[in-house]
Amino acid sequence: MDKQHYLMNAGIPLQIEASMPSPWTSDQSLSMDHHFDSSLTSAAFALRHLIGKLDRSSPAALPSLAADPGFAERAAKFSCFGSRSFNGRTSSPGSATPGQSMSALPRVASSPSLKLNGSPPPRNRKLPSSGANSNEESSVSEQIPSSNSRKRKSASRGKNKDDRSNSAKEAEEDENLKRSKQTQNCENEQECNENKTNQKPPEPPKDYIHVRARRGQATDSHSLAERVRREKISERMKLLQDLVPGCNKVAGKALMLDEIINYVQSLQRQVEFLSMKLASVNPDMDFNMENLLSKDMYQQSTSLPQQMYPLDSSSPAYYHHHQNVQHQLLHGTNISSVDPLPLDATLGIQIDGFAQNLPQQFPAFTEDDLHSIVQMGFIHNSVQNQTSNMKVEL
Amino acid sequence: MKARSSLKQEFLEKWRKGLQIGRNDSTILERKDAIKLSADVAIAATRNAATRWRRALLCDVVSKNPTNKHVVEQILGHKLKNTAATTRLTTACRRRILRRGQNYRRRKRNKRSRALRKLVPGGEEMDGVLLLQETLDYIVSLRAQVDVMRRLAAIT
Repeated sequence: MDKQHYLMNAGIPLQIEASMPSPWTSDQSLSMDHHFDSSLTSAAFALRHLIGKLDRSSPAALPSLAADPGFAERAAKFSCFGSRSFNGRTSSPGSATPGQSMSALPRVASSPSLKLNGSPPPRNRKLPSSGANSNEESSVSEQIPSSNSRKRKSASRGKNKDDRSNSAKEAEEDENLKRSKQTQNCENEQECNENKTNQKPPEPPKDYIHVRARRGQATDSHSLAERVRREKISERMKLLQDLVPGCNKVAGKALMLDEIINYVQSLQRQVEFLSMKLASVNPDMDFNMENLLSKDMYQQSTSLPQQMYPLDSSSPAYYHHHQNVQHQLLHGTNISSVDPLPLDATLGIQIDGFAQNLPQQFPAFTEDDLHSIVQMGFIHNSVQNQTSNMKVEL
Repeated sequence: MKARSSLKQEFLEKWRKGLQIGRNDSTILERKDAIKLSADVAIAATRNAATRWRRALLCDVVSKNPTNKHVVEQILGHKLKNTAATTRLTTACRRRILRRGQNYRRRKRNKRSRALRKLVPGGEEMDGVLLLQETLDYIVSLRAQVDVMRRLAAIT
């Protein structure tokens, strides 16, 4: 289901972000563990082996989700379903909201596992165990005993829905709508008027959307559909909020949309800039790719907060946003151990490339930047060099 | 962690495949376009997901310059099925859906919606809910792409 896909992926960048102080730090998350790489030069062709083991364990429906055993935890961390924190995950089932927020998880986690299995398990049973999802299910089944019986039923309801509905979106809609509940039925429900409320007792699977009117709200079909749509939109906005850095402070759809638009624009610009950089620095792209790919494999398994490649700080794409960050770098956070000589060389090439071809595209590339970068290069040189190996490589 | 790196690994591998196609580009701009094209197609081809923006991106790529088709096929690993016909079909369907939505909602799309639609490939024919969903997926993929490209650029 798409939402879970997003949740899982939301976990990824957020873990990166958590280690960085400034907003929009994805550029800083460039982990250039050169000293890590340098010891792995012999792995140039481990690439092929690694690629062969690319994660193909899951079927087409939910490849990303199934592969991630820590999904439930990460979804717990970053999910927006509950307003309370996820301490409720292990708390007693007495409180409604943690129960409610937890409830999102077993449902969310159960459906992909069932899609994987293919054959519909019987209703009202606990989650079946499949190999790829054992971790997921263990974490989910942990929650299940601690939650009320309704959750179990909703999980089984989720199963049935998955059986009959092909599109993930449909199932998701159904879930949402059945969640937008009938408060009359729920007695220990504290927050009746919240968007995401408790589950209902199981219902026979349906092919169309069933919504019941809430207490004190209009009951005509148009406003119901409208409400459903609004809820969907707000759900997705919350997910986006987790994904786009700097959105937490902003309240309200309009400003958040602004942030999102800015973010997408900046990412696209970064792609342009980086491809230009790659074109200018390295005329033989795929010649180097093999070596670099192997290094990348190892890099990606290590995580992140690291040394800022000084050249990146000058990129005009995010120049405007990172003035202060740049200064921070100058005064040396983690000094990146890069040999200054190739740094200056690449700088030279890059500048030439820019000057020749894109004078209008990168107006923000100033003289001061160059100065600062060159200075940084010399600072690095003087400070230390873990990169004696690095020099050999380069 | 496995899932995190698998997206990037997949992207990297597909990107490399796309770049292996021999091209005679001498100027920086041509090279940059080739690199960007391979990267975009590669990121759109990851994950076996058939989200709208991916399809729209691939269709755009092919329609802008027919020679790009080789790159796309190389990366995808199979022949594109008659993209002209499919795009015609899908645009008709899309228009129908859009009109229906417009009839029901009958509101003017505000500036921000329009701006977002322009950014996300294929965004013109999506309704509000779908737009946000696709944006989410698109942001994740873009992020992965930028990350990998940046690392590569920093290594060289």
